[in-house]
Amino acid sequence: MPAALEVRDLSFRYDGGRATLSGVSFTVQPGECVGLLGPNGAGKSTLLLHLNGILPERLPARSEPAVLVDGLPLAPANLPAVRQRVGLMFQQSDDQLFCPTVWEDVAFGPRQLGLRGDALGQRVRACLERVNLDGFEHRRPHQLSQGEKRRVCLAGVLACEPGVLVLDEPTSDLDPRGRREFKLLLRGIPATRIIATHDLELVVELCPRSLLLDGGELVADGPTVELLSDEALMLAHGLEKPHILQHRHPHAA
Amino acid sequence: MHAGLLESYQPRRSPVHRLATQTKLVAALALIFCVVSIPKGWDRMGWTVFDGTALLLVMTAARSRLSAAFLLRRLLLLEPFVLGVAALSFWQPHGWTVFWHAVARSTLCLATLVLLAATTPFSEIVRVLRTWRVPALLLTTLTLMDRYLFVLIEETGRMQRARASRTFVVRSRWAVWRTLAETLGELFVRSTERAGRIYAAMCARGWETSEPPVG
Repeated sequence: MPAALEVRDLSFRYDGGRATLSGVSFTVQPGECVGLLGPNGAGKSTLLLHLNGILPERLPARSEPAVLVDGLPLAPANLPAVRQRVGLMFQQSDDQLFCPTVWEDVAFGPRQLGLRGDALGQRVRACLERVNLDGFEHRRPHQLSQGEKRRVCLAGVLACEPGVLVLDEPTSDLDPRGRREFKLLLRGIPATRIIATHDLELVVELCPRSLLLDGGELVADGPTVELLSDEALMLAHGLEKPHILQHRHPHAA
Repeated sequence: MHAGLLESYQPRRSPVHRLATQTKLVAALALIFCVVSIPKGWDRMGWTVFDGTALLLVMTAARSRLSAAFLLRRLLLLEPFVLGVAALSFWQPHGWTVFWHAVARSTLCLATLVLLAATTPFSEIVRVLRTWRVPALLLTTLTLMDRYLFVLIEETGRMQRARASRTFVVRSRWAVWRTLAETLGELFVRSTERAGRIYAAMCARGWETSEPPVG
């Protein structure tokens, strides 16, 4: 069985800028839930944009592909297939909810996949039910609370039935209740998940494994509790040991 | 500006709201066409047509159960643009006559659109335009504009509040204008960046055709 996601020696720089990613390599197995940690400007969002081919804008004509999804190399010909397999949820909900109503936004992805009529309606309904937003079909995005916007974003991504779910700061603008609800939703999704976040407690609860990115380089890759309990490592990379681990033995389950 | 005033569609239970979108759109376009195609020379006849159109609009507005204050406020909001354009007619011979003709014409067209927008959801209008085979790119632009207008207004409000909260002295008019210009510039840069992110979000969910993001 091929890895759900494989990144090999990925380097990237924005036009005229310094290197944002340099030599990043890791593999994620199907069903894994991996946390992506790092200070601001570490390159987390840039890395996530590479996972479904939004970046680089022009794929370089190199023989060795840097990203493989289900063994499928990220190449122009595979782009539609890769984008269907990797669902990307963006940091700002307003950027992701670009349709006039909730129904249309959730239907956007499946419609690209060729779904029409009843099948489309059923898919949208099922996804909205899954994020506990049934009855929200005709609401307009600007009438929703942050938590509701987040859940519509998730429904829109789930509607494409991706095998890998990539989330960029999914809880950054949620209140504690919104965070708790969103965490429960994420826990119930069987897909492979990669979650970039500063919410270390979320990572401890959901992700058995974490990657630590700083200055565009992958500085650590290992069990979350072990990584986050290493205070020296955390402080060196602009993070801190989360409160939830302060009184917990690093090897406790 | 309050975002509530920009929410053009006002749901009501009225015969005008119930009318098919296609019918309303055809009627509105016909009315606008009729008003703008009156030649400048038709003085008496022209005003008869304008009066008739105004009466028709007032009757429709009355049946639509919308508050007159709401419709007038929306019309007034747009009126500065009308006056700005009409003022150009002072450089022509018979300035005042041309001016009043231009004001009447534009106001009637705007009133028709205000009434159409207040009684028909925007997504419905786009859906009908799509069946009329209006270019998909134009419809995508219209849909995104409708969606992000509110986001932009909220963003402008936040920027203004942020500036106001750190403005401690009464400033000259020049400084106020400069601040406004800076805010607009910043808004433009932010909108461009946001446009890039929205495009990325559309691509991430498989958008590659010229299909508009509405059904």
